[in-house]
This record gives sequence, C-alpha cells and structure tokens, in this order.
Amino acid sequence: MFACLYIFDFLVQAALRLEPMPLAKDSLVVILDGPDTLQRVIATNQAARLTGIDLGMTKPQVELLGGVVLRKRFPRHEDLAQAALLDCAFAFSPRVESTSAGTVIADLLGTEKLFGSPPNVARLMTLRAQECGLEANVAVAANPDTARIAACGFRGISILALGEEEKRLTSLPVEVLSPSPAILDTLDSWGIRTLGALAKLPPLSIVERLGQGGLQLQRQARGEIRRTLLPAEPTGNFEEIYEFETPVETVESLAFIVSRLLHQLCLRLSARSLGMTQLQMNLELVVRQLRSDAAKENYERIWKLPLPIVDAKVLLRLVRLDLDAKSFSAPIRKITLQALPARQRSAQAGLFTPAAPQAEQMEITVARISGLVGADDENGIHCVGSPQVLDSHQPDSFCVQAFSTETNDTEISQTEIREGEGHLARPTISLRIFRPALATSVELRDGKPFSLLLNNRRAQILCASGPWSSSGQWWNPASLWAREEWDVAVKTSDGSGLYRLVWDRMRKQWFLEGLFD
Amino acid sequence: MNSSALRKVIEAQIPSAFSLPRRAEGRFFPTGLTAIDRLTGGVPVGALTEICGSAVASSGKTSLVVSLLAHARQFCALVDANDAFDPASAAAAGVNLSRMLWVRCGKTRQKLRPLEQAFKAADVLLQSGGFGLIVLDISGIPESVVRKIPLTSWFRLSRVVEKMPTALVFIEQQPHAASCAGLVLNLLNKPPVWSGNLLTRCSMEVEVIRGAEKKRAHSANPVVSLRAQWA
Repeated sequence: MFACLYIFDFLVQAALRLEPMPLAKDSLVVILDGPDTLQRVIATNQAARLTGIDLGMTKPQVELLGGVVLRKRFPRHEDLAQAALLDCAFAFSPRVESTSAGTVIADLLGTEKLFGSPPNVARLMTLRAQECGLEANVAVAANPDTARIAACGFRGISILALGEEEKRLTSLPVEVLSPSPAILDTLDSWGIRTLGALAKLPPLSIVERLGQGGLQLQRQARGEIRRTLLPAEPTGNFEEIYEFETPVETVESLAFIVSRLLHQLCLRLSARSLGMTQLQMNLELVVRQLRSDAAKENYERIWKLPLPIVDAKVLLRLVRLDLDAKSFSAPIRKITLQALPARQRSAQAGLFTPAAPQAEQMEITVARISGLVGADDENGIHCVGSPQVLDSHQPDSFCVQAFSTETNDTEISQTEIREGEGHLARPTISLRIFRPALATSVELRDGKPFSLLLNNRRAQILCASGPWSSSGQWWNPASLWAREEWDVAVKTSDGSGLYRLVWDRMRKQWFLEGLFD
Repeated sequence: MNSSALRKVIEAQIPSAFSLPRRAEGRFFPTGLTAIDRLTGGVPVGALTEICGSAVASSGKTSLVVSLLAHARQFCALVDANDAFDPASAAAAGVNLSRMLWVRCGKTRQKLRPLEQAFKAADVLLQSGGFGLIVLDISGIPESVVRKIPLTSWFRLSRVVEKMPTALVFIEQQPHAASCAGLVLNLLNKPPVWSGNLLTRCSMEVEVIRGAEKKRAHSANPVVSLRAQWA
C-alpha cells in the first residue's frame, strides 16, 4: 500500500506554516509575488477564492476588498515546507517519494506492525502534518498514482481498497490528473469532465485521438497504473527561517518565534530519529540594508551541545538566556535557525555508574552560570567548564572544556587503579594560584632570597628551596618563557606560609605565584 | 474527653503526630585524610560544611578540599570566587578533572561582584541537582566582605542542601554560617618539614568547631601530615 500526503493550497500553507498565531479558518489569504511596484496574486486559499479573488489580481485590487491577509512569497519557505513534509513521511516509511511541491508518497509495505491498519496510518500522518503546521489530505491506495489522485481529489482521509479504485475515483474532475491544457480542452469539448467518464471511453479511440498520453490518463483514472517509487534521499539540512512582516525589537516577540521554529526543528529531527548536536542562530538586523559594513550587523550564535538533544524547551531556555544577555542595535527582520543532526544517544545508564546531572538540564545550568560569571576570560579561556591540564612544561597552563556528564569509564577505572595502588591514600600539598601573579620585591643574601614584600610589608624568609630553573618556547620569541622557582617559607601573623616565588628571567621581575595550602 | 484519651485518638489516626521528626541516617563523603575521617566520619551529605584556615599561612584547607574532590565518586563542582584553583596540582592529587565543573568567578566585567557570583552560581548548581559535592572557595575574599553576607543566605543554602544527596563545602578564613553548618573545621598551621634544601612535608592541626562528633575534653587536636608532590 502507498500513502500520499497532499497539501492543498501549498503556497498559502507554506507561507503560513510558521505563523505564531494560527489564522481563523475563514480568513482570506493571498500570496503575492513580483516586483514591489507591481505585486500580483499567485495563490489564494479557498475562502479567498469564494470571495472572488482571482490569480493575477494586483495588490491594490485585493486591498480594496479589505480584511485580506497578504503575504509575500518566499520560495525558501516552500522548500522548507516541502522538507518538513518529507520528514513527516519519513517518520512512517524509509521509502518516500517527493512527487511534487506539496505532495509526497510513502511506501507502507511492512509498516503494519508498527503503525497498524491503513486508516490508522493515515490518521497518524494527518496528525503529524498538523504538528508541522500543514493541513494535509491523506489517501492510501494500492498504487502510488491512485493514492495521489485520491489525495488531490478528496478532503481529509480516504482509503481506497484494492479493486475499488475506479469506482471511488469516478466522481473526481479530470483536473486532478493534471493533464496538459490541450488535452484538457479536448476532453472538455467532448463533454468528459469526470474520471468516471474518462475511464469508460474505449482505449483504442483515446490513443488514436490523444496519443499515449491520453491512454496514460485513462489508466490513471481507472487506477490501473503500477509503478515503483522514486525514493527521495533524506536531507541533512535542518533549517527554519522566519521573516518578520514588521521588524521586532523586543526579546519576547523574538522568543515567541524562536519557540515555534525550535519546535518545528525538533519535530523534524524526531521524525527521523535524530537529535541536535549544534544549533546555529542567525539574526538579520534592519540596518543591514542601510550600511555598507553589512555583515557586522548580523548576529550569529552557535551552541555546541554535548549530546544530541530534541527537547525544544531546553533549547529555548538556552536561546533565551543568550538573548536576555544581549542588546541589539537595531530591530530584527529575519531569523534563521539551523540544526546539525546526529544520531540520538542509545546508551543506557548503568546501575553502578555515579549519579550525574541530566545532560539537557546541565546545558541550561552552564548557560545560566555563564550569564552570571561571563563566558570567557581575557585570554579566551572559558569561565565555566571542566579544567584540563595542557601537555606543556609551562606552569599554570590549562584549558577549560565544555562540561559533559557522559561517563568516561576509562578515567574512572584509572582513578580506581591509582587508589588501589595507594596513591590517593597519601594526601599531597596543593597550590593556590594567584592569577595574575603578584609582583614583589625580594632581598637576596648569598644568592638566596632573604626577605620579600608581602601585603606591603617586608616579611622574612625562614627557609628557601631552589632555584628550580625552567624555560620553554625558545623557538618562538613572542611566547618565550624562562624562570627560576623558589619554594619559600615566610613568617606571617598566622604562622608560616609556604609560597612559590618566581624570578621571571624575561621580565627581570620577582613574582609570588601561589601559596601551598 | 481528657488529654490522654484525646492523644490516643489522634495517634490512632496520625501515628507521628506527637513524635519529633527524625533526620535520616547521616551519610558522609570521606575526605581521604584518615585523621579527619576518624574524627568526623567525613563531610556530611545534605549539610553545609565550613573548612576554615588562614589566607596568608599554609593551613592546608585547599589540600583538604582537593583530597575530598579526589575521593569523590560523584560529579563535583568547584565555585572558585578568586580563580585560585590549580588544575595541575589537583590532577596530581588524583582529582578526575573531567567529572568536575569549575566555575571561575570575577574573570570578566559583570554586574555582580565575585562573592555574589559565587553564591548565585552555587544556588543554580543546587537547583540543577546531580552533583554529589559542591565546593565554594571564598577564602580569598576579604573577611570584611564575607562578614556582610546575611545569615539568611547561609540558612537558605543549608535548607536547600538538606534534602539533597549533596555535600556543600565552603572554604573560608573564618566560620560564618553559625548553626546553619553541619560541620565546621578550623585548620591550624604547623611548621613545615624541610629535608636539606627541599620542602618535603607540612602539617596541619584540625580543630572541630561544630560537628556530629564533638571534640572530647582535654584531648589533643589531630595533626594531619601532607607530603609534597615531589617528595
């Protein structure tokens, strides 16, 4: 069996798919295209057609009617709507054909155990399309073309049993076959206006008068055509775009649309059993049109997620935290969200693995803390994350990586092994680093530090160990470093303090680098 | 109906009506320092712990917390108000850095001061849940500033952590949480040990100011010895 998803008034639905507030059923909607000075109607919904709005009318003519929702055509919206429709069908079958704009056909062979009987599949498909913001006709038939014709001709769900195709299609107009204008005129002149009438004509006479094309149409009308699907390749492009009719200035208005777009992205990803590992947001500001340094006025933000996420609420929180901390110099006219897909996490948490923060929740937590303490320091190192010691001999060389709750079994086992060997049982002295290092002056006696300046007071050094010389990056004058370390015990008001004293040979300056505490 | 009869009627319907609520059996995280674990059992879970020591002398408070982090099997968080944490010495002490979230306060120009950042970050981490150990290092903040933290802030944190499987540990110069803390340790500096020209060992005296196991009268405070990494 084959199921066809047909989006009636596709151009209209594609334009309205991402509208934050759904329009009333009886709203008059027209789609305009052409240059700004002469825009013409290229598509309408049924309510507009019944009111008398025809294709080709100009914008002023339509505006005279009043109460008409006007939308400009964006071909990209149609591409995205078609991609969403395809993902909708991919949720039910791996073999899907993108027949035409607004029409996809899915092969339901072997899906009965997953989704049940054809009426049930058709109902689920309708619901899925509705979630994607599209109202679809769904037809299930034994061959793809019959399913397509039935979906074009009948509203809602239609199930055509094997052998009943011709009988069910009888009442449909011949226009649903999409014949060429010449053939349509000929059929009209013969008085053939329904598929039933076309099906009854003698095939030989049709071939004599209309050629093989006419015979093909008759076989379609009889539901006799058998063909294989042309499977569409699932695309990896998960993108949603929204262009505001009037540019928005407040974060609330923007977040409203972002929520809608994220919801759509997550729906499309979940239909394909995928998750999002990276989210990219581009905001196009109005000033882009006015200034020459255009690109600088766009705002781009990329979230690299530690694991595939399809939770729109979590993603919205991340975006909101970023938008709340940002102030824009101009209103926003266009927003683009792009997701990088990846397979969803399939590993199950073990009984004996330590309790960990929820990965999705952790992203929000890190974003909230980053909002409090800042994202990066002056050296570009993250302020929130997991520290990692760099493979360098230079002291205090580290980086901060994104915090991940994914358990690394290797590291755990290494820790346990070390504990077993007794390394952890012997506590060591840790260093408190002064960032930046405190410049100080040191009095030397016999080549050894004798006293130093600590908290604006000269303190006597009780004992000194050193010098421990080290240097590095000699091949790069810009980052060359050379130093001599001393471990010194200084008499303080609270007892002796063990400090790391450093003579920077490049800067010719003494520094207190840290306290052994 | 007299009071005893009334009491029986109520207890028949609500058995725990007149009994005091019992705290759950205390759980502790080992610090890895045997003397302290023997004395206190470790750091209490679901409670606030204060580890105090001098800011200018080597009291051993950082080494104690690093040892605690090294022995933690759960995910940990370190809120560093002064950005004083040294990943290299922590890694050498056995801390699994990949399971630790490090929050470096005061590194960028923000509206909040580092101390406020640290408290708010700790609050967010507690709300997030999932961390077995959360450490707030505010020992580099001047005492005059820390003293201004209202007691309600400490109380709030202690109430939040009370119902969580998390140990909340503060490193400070002086104790401030008063009765909100489940355990307060004061670490006192002892003279370091030098072997020739090399620092090999230093010691700290541990004084329990508040805790489940109070110090016995006339008994000496335990002394914990820490070795240098190169010794």
